[in-house]
Amino acid sequence: MAAPSRKLAQRSLIAAALLFIVGFGAGLVSLFRIQLLHGDEYQQRAQEQQLSDTVISADRGTIYDSNGKIIAQSAGAWLIYINPSKIKNDTQKEAVISGLTSILGVSEETVRKKTENVKYSYEKIKGQVETVQKEQISAFIKENNLYGVVCIDPDTKRYYPYSSFASSVIGFTGNDGVGRYGLELKYNDSLTGIPGRIISAKNALAGALPNEYETTYDAQQGTSLVLTIDETIQYYLEKALEQALIDNDATGAYGIITDVETGAVLAMSSKPDYDLNEPFKIYNERLSLELQQQSEAAADDTEKTNLATNMQFRQWRNCAISDTYEPGSVFKVITMAAALEEGVIDESFTYSCTGGIKVGPNIIHCSRLTGHGSQDLKMGLKNSCNPYFITVGQKLGSEKFFKYFEATGFTEPTNIDLPGEAVPAANVTYYTQARLGIAELSSCAFGQTFQISPIQMITAVGSIANGGKLMEPYLVSSMLDQSGNTVYTHEPTVRRQVISEKTAQTTASLMEEVVKGGTGKNAYVAGYRVAGKTGTSEKLTSDGQFIASFSGFAPADDPKIAILIIIDEPQGAVHSGGGIAAPIAGSVLEQSLIYLNVEPRYTQEELSKLNATAPNIVGSTVAEAKSMLSNQGFTARIVGDGNMVVSQTPAQGQTLPKNGVIVAYTESEGLSTSGAVPVLTGLSVSQANAQAANSGFNVKITGISQNSGEVISYRQSVEAGTLAELGSTITVYFKTDTGVAD
Amino acid sequence: MEKAKPARKRGILSEYIAESGFDITFLVLVLTLLTIGLVMLFSASYTYAYYYEHGDSTFYFVKQLEFALIGIVAMFAISKIKYEYLKIGAVIGIGVAVLLLGIVLLVPEQVPGFKRWIPVPGIGTFQPSEVAKLALILFCAWGMDKDHKKIVGKIPVESEWAKKIQGITNGKITVYKSLTSLFIYGGVIVFIAGLVYAENHVSGTVLILAIGVVMLWMGEFKSHWFIIGGTLAILMIIIFVLNPQLLENYAGERITAWLDKDYSPGDKRWQINQSLYAIGSGGFLGEGLGNSKQKHLYVSEPQNDFIFSIVCEELGFIGAAIIIILFILLVWRGIVIGMKARDRFGALLSIGIVFQVGLQAALNIAVVTDTIPNTGISLPFFSAGGTSLCILLFEMGIVLGVSRYSRLPKADAPAPARTGSRVKQNKAGD
Repeated sequence: MAAPSRKLAQRSLIAAALLFIVGFGAGLVSLFRIQLLHGDEYQQRAQEQQLSDTVISADRGTIYDSNGKIIAQSAGAWLIYINPSKIKNDTQKEAVISGLTSILGVSEETVRKKTENVKYSYEKIKGQVETVQKEQISAFIKENNLYGVVCIDPDTKRYYPYSSFASSVIGFTGNDGVGRYGLELKYNDSLTGIPGRIISAKNALAGALPNEYETTYDAQQGTSLVLTIDETIQYYLEKALEQALIDNDATGAYGIITDVETGAVLAMSSKPDYDLNEPFKIYNERLSLELQQQSEAAADDTEKTNLATNMQFRQWRNCAISDTYEPGSVFKVITMAAALEEGVIDESFTYSCTGGIKVGPNIIHCSRLTGHGSQDLKMGLKNSCNPYFITVGQKLGSEKFFKYFEATGFTEPTNIDLPGEAVPAANVTYYTQARLGIAELSSCAFGQTFQISPIQMITAVGSIANGGKLMEPYLVSSMLDQSGNTVYTHEPTVRRQVISEKTAQTTASLMEEVVKGGTGKNAYVAGYRVAGKTGTSEKLTSDGQFIASFSGFAPADDPKIAILIIIDEPQGAVHSGGGIAAPIAGSVLEQSLIYLNVEPRYTQEELSKLNATAPNIVGSTVAEAKSMLSNQGFTARIVGDGNMVVSQTPAQGQTLPKNGVIVAYTESEGLSTSGAVPVLTGLSVSQANAQAANSGFNVKITGISQNSGEVISYRQSVEAGTLAELGSTITVYFKTDTGVAD
Repeated sequence: MEKAKPARKRGILSEYIAESGFDITFLVLVLTLLTIGLVMLFSASYTYAYYYEHGDSTFYFVKQLEFALIGIVAMFAISKIKYEYLKIGAVIGIGVAVLLLGIVLLVPEQVPGFKRWIPVPGIGTFQPSEVAKLALILFCAWGMDKDHKKIVGKIPVESEWAKKIQGITNGKITVYKSLTSLFIYGGVIVFIAGLVYAENHVSGTVLILAIGVVMLWMGEFKSHWFIIGGTLAILMIIIFVLNPQLLENYAGERITAWLDKDYSPGDKRWQINQSLYAIGSGGFLGEGLGNSKQKHLYVSEPQNDFIFSIVCEELGFIGAAIIIILFILLVWRGIVIGMKARDRFGALLSIGIVFQVGLQAALNIAVVTDTIPNTGISLPFFSAGGTSLCILLFEMGIVLGVSRYSRLPKADAPAPARTGSRVKQNKAGD
């Protein structure tokens, strides 16, 4: 038994020294390096993976009309995706394909392609899926045990409850929730909220750790917009424009209504339009037909796609601000206002129209080739006489003309808060002063040889209505944060005082004359003194095509709203602004002013045609009733063989036109109380009245109401042939095709 | 052989029971490391256990605690046996180890490509290489003590073949017994290492070889063999590090992953990067006990080979350094016990065992700190593993047993016995 030797002790020390220094020493040095020298770096990298950063998507702001009606709103939707790497076999693959195809309506080919990307774990099938479909998907997953293969994520979808309402103004968002067009694009930054985040510690399986590390940053909903657009007025405008599109077989009908005092746009529409909920579909038949024809001729798919894209852009285009046109005679009011302001003419300035005027070597013709004869300013404007205004323009001179052209805002965009406004280009869309020679000046004076956008035109007309103050048009009146607090209010912006208030008033009263008895008479509205000007111009882009327009405001003595109606390429026999645009402007103005509670003030003449209240004839004998009604100017219509009136239509106290029909029923039962509505269109006022009375109906006359043979009814509120209660009132719209050419 | 004291008759077994006290310092170090190890195991493993052991967060801790208690009993029990009787186990042990390593190669693989574990019903699995390490130490201690004269002396081999060699070389080459002994012990070591390597267990192989070299060194084989061997080993390491493809696939890949810190195929650096993130996150003072975030499934095997990363994250540099110092103290105390042991067998046994623990700890720390290529080495006292903890405590018991006869201040024994044995030891040592 040998005891440990000294050598063993030495060797132990050597071995221990090696172990301690090389073995543990190296470990300590490494720890020192990792923990003390580079600790922060490693800790940062550890935290990068330990912290889960979950984005909470922020709701996009809502868009309201001026009365708080929801025009655009975001709501929760769902995104369906698949994880192709988890598909076990072909059976499962086929199940996924058929299930998703049938539930989501996605093409089979698309889904199949995605299922075959087995290297990937995320293939989006469809976003913005409605909850109904999502429930079906959930059931489908459960049924086929496709957990982890077919997956559902939350998504948001933009809803436009009014579908095509103000579509070119509102615009829409892409699938990514980013504004693509219109206000949605212009105000995208405001509407887009600030996404929230949840930063929390997580384990490697992405399970959250229950500890105090969690920090939440709430998502901030996007700012909501309150528009100046009034849903009701917009509805009136759109309905009228839609009808105009059909009536005139036109390619387009555009309209703008503004509040003259502030420049706020109350309604703006470009027809044809589209459903904001599905903006990529082509809605207009003309456009889809054109696209179809082009596509057939297209060489390849790329070209086809490009054609489709072009057509979509055409559909989305807000022509009311993006298109330019020659304003034609509507512009004469600007020339006139400038000349009055500068004092180069006054109302008594007289010029004798011979049907043409020599400008340089050329002769410019008047719309009435026989000439208007001697006219003062009022008559010149009422007749929309070209030679008269050429003369006025020449008297004004290029310098002053251009001064007012510029001041009225025709050389710059209006800065309306919409994307895509047409930007005027010097010597392209308009002549600069230097280029305004006598020929140019002469044609410009009556609104030709230069291009402006509709929004510029109505802004200019609005300045006449607003005492000479040119306002900046706008669509967003205020913005609200997510709790509904107002965070921004638009202050109306006065661009400049263009003409004096006095000149503005004079111009307005002259414009009223145009509607009273000039080319604009179809825009006449009883009780509301409409001022306006008609215009018809040839389109430069397509031969033989016209643009008919009417712009005006009402009431003339205290203007509230201004309107511009443009009919693009009307195909009917009548294509003048006074013939087709003015009646629309009149009816929309009337509806809007009534809606806005603007008190009507009737003239004596108008009063005579106003409504009366039905007296009580129930309980009277037939003879008594007849005499009472005829005394009060009503026509009696007796139904039944009884002696006593047992009921009446309209009932006591109800309104009916003066000289209207009151139906007296003498038997309580077995009598037909309704009758077929007669045809009331294509008639003069008296013819319509008589026709209605014969059938036992009352007529309300709307539009121009001069009782002359030129004035013809063109529409009735209840279609002919439908059954309606006898004695009820049918609104009949009148216009004239005579004396409205400009 | 020491005679049992007449005053303390305890029947037939008293012949084998050690009387004197063991080294209290060593015991305190063992229990301290064990306690820290258990606490850290619980902290490091509860998330992992929650996710992978059916929501049972205390799964590893409770199991480890059970084995620790069994191990402590085994430790005290073995320390009570006079250690010279362990010589009986030297040859048997090495036989059993070879047998178990052989079985491991034959039973079905649990993890494809790795044949390290033997399933034991009721316990789970255990690694025969753990047994092999102890068996090798025991065998070397016994043999090198027995053959000490042959190893250190200049005794020519008398066999025919040796004489032939002498004849052929005209007496220039004499085969000494020191050389044949080296071949015998080296052969056993290489054979055992080879079996472990066949299990695809590189770290175990390295550890067996390292323990073998330590035993050869302590067995006082000639220094020049170590110089030659060391040089060869360093050359080999350089060759393999420069040409990892020469090694088997997985070992080579790990060397590549160690050399190239951005190596990404198959996430081969995921494990080690997660370990570094954990260690780095600890900083100087640590995140605090229980506050590791990396143990939440980022660090793989946080209860096992990479437990030290979590220790570093929670206890910081300061805590890690204290634990390393505790290991150093444990090794040092074991060496002291060995140096002051009553005989060479005891010395080799004690020193061999503490070196095994020290080497394993140092290698484990080197792995988790990315100082050497990633290889699976568990950390003694810390890593989960019932059988290996039992074997470890059993080994500690052996060292305590040796300490009973060391010339050191003692505990747990009557004072007269201490003095008595000390005198005897002194005599025996001379």
